[in-house]
Amino acid sequence: MFSSNVLVVLPILIPLTGAAVAILLRKRRGWQAGWTLATMIASMVFSFLLLAAVWRGGEPLVFQSGGWPAPFGISLVADMLSAVFVVMTQLVMVTGILYAVGSKDKVVTYPTFYPLFLTLATGLTGAMLTGDLFNMYVFAELLVISGTILTAISDDRFGTEAAYKYFYISLLASFFMLLAIGSLYAGYGTLNMASLAANIATKEVSPLLWPAIGFLMATFMIKSAVFPFHFWQPDFHTAAPTAVSAMLSSVVVKLGVYGFLRMTTLLFVAQAPTIRAILIVLGIIGVIFGGLSALGTHNVKRMLAYSTLAQVGFILIGVGWGTALSITAAIIFAFNHSIIKAAMLMLAGYVASRASVKSAAFDIVTGVGRPLPAAGFLFFLGSLALAGIPPTNGFVSKMLFFDSGIRAEGYGALLLVGLASIFTLMYTVRAFQRIWWQKPAEGISTKGSGDRLLAPAILVTLIMVLGIWAQPLVAAAQWTSAWLGDPALYIQAVLGG
Amino acid sequence: MTLLVALTVGLLFAIGIFQMLQRNVIRSLIGLMILANAVNLFLLSTGAYEGLEAAYTTADQPSSDPLPQALILTAIVISMGGTAFILAMLIIISARYKTADMDEVDRLKK
Repeated sequence: MFSSNVLVVLPILIPLTGAAVAILLRKRRGWQAGWTLATMIASMVFSFLLLAAVWRGGEPLVFQSGGWPAPFGISLVADMLSAVFVVMTQLVMVTGILYAVGSKDKVVTYPTFYPLFLTLATGLTGAMLTGDLFNMYVFAELLVISGTILTAISDDRFGTEAAYKYFYISLLASFFMLLAIGSLYAGYGTLNMASLAANIATKEVSPLLWPAIGFLMATFMIKSAVFPFHFWQPDFHTAAPTAVSAMLSSVVVKLGVYGFLRMTTLLFVAQAPTIRAILIVLGIIGVIFGGLSALGTHNVKRMLAYSTLAQVGFILIGVGWGTALSITAAIIFAFNHSIIKAAMLMLAGYVASRASVKSAAFDIVTGVGRPLPAAGFLFFLGSLALAGIPPTNGFVSKMLFFDSGIRAEGYGALLLVGLASIFTLMYTVRAFQRIWWQKPAEGISTKGSGDRLLAPAILVTLIMVLGIWAQPLVAAAQWTSAWLGDPALYIQAVLGG
Repeated sequence: MTLLVALTVGLLFAIGIFQMLQRNVIRSLIGLMILANAVNLFLLSTGAYEGLEAAYTTADQPSSDPLPQALILTAIVISMGGTAFILAMLIIISARYKTADMDEVDRLKK
């Protein structure tokens, strides 16, 4: 019927086409929502098929767009890393749309809400599947613009302000990326990642190589909100509509993680030790700073946004240790964190939608959860997962992380991070107590109706399933990490021969 | 020529960053636009004029590199969209706060 290479394009093309059709359906809101959900589910099915095809095929799937051979045309490449990240993205995106469909926010009634959601998915998927640096820049811009507009139209009054801040800093990120692209092109005469990797490994070192590495690192640090480029993230993720902030704080920040993995295992293998040393330091700062800031906030959504800083810190340390096991741990951590953080943010949004004023600030939501035991149970399981307590998937990722750290002999980092991860338990338990145990203040009552609980329930089910039956994910991550250990595999698949 | 381009790129970067750090939002937006042009000029300097002939002629002479030009074209389009979007957000923000001073737009932090 079709060759399996087409599978690489489908997770990008389906949401993009779906977005165009969804704009045409803007007059019929019910149809538009249904169409968007169907499109995203179809895209997710194909991303699972892509993962299966890559896994079974044993080599990266490459689609040369327009039929141009590798260094000249744009190649789309799905190796295990891309495929796993795309599956993660699309899985969480489906639940995001599901949450938006059941949401009472005014923002979901805007005609462009669903199309922008689909272009957000397109941008993220495309940036992870592309094998060309400039194409990655274009997809990242699509992602940034969609995400910013979705936040700017938020119900929250400060949505525009937060969106302005974010857009400003991410325009800077795209300048950094363009500078990196220019430097690499001047030095090595290509932008195809596989041929760049081959050229950097074999040709003499260009004087622009280190500036390019620095610019690319700054780009991905802004994308992942890594200290010292973190300051936009809590504002932006708090002000965004719930369905959107659940995406931004879970899968969108993983683009930077993906970029760092590609940098250290494909593009700059010889320079990787320096990059990794920097990543470990940044990760430790992120874990401690994120944990402390999350303890000091007065808003559930803001607390979870700071917690993302800490969790991304863990992943960066995993990438920084750079052993096969620690990269496995980082990939599993990234996958699990996406699911956990999306579920937690949706639950926070669910509680806020039941509060008298739509806000997730602690003095408004205190006690609001008392008539909502189901959400409380889900939030409790999510907290366990975030803190890494069995039988949730958070335990699997934390255990692998610490195991790989002991084997990599990163004891200093382990000690600091181990202490800082106690913060996780402290702030999630505090949020749980305030919302579900404390008595509400005078005059604060719980509204009878609000957002639907289906999407977070699905995610929490996934948390439990992946905690008890972790084998498939662990196997996929191990296989990914084995592939990443051999950049020649990627280079050969793209360039051929 | 190379020195001239290098100096121009450097000067544009300096002006852009200086303007971007101003408190007035309009000035900082102008700074951002200057920075975008500095980046584009930098991309252009990576080899757009190494040959004299256009890339699509059949003349047997060293042809100039079409790729940086294609990159800049894309970058210009994207930064135009971005600038338009920033201006739209600025209209909303300045109407809400009745000021163009970034230090007074701070209700998000409270």
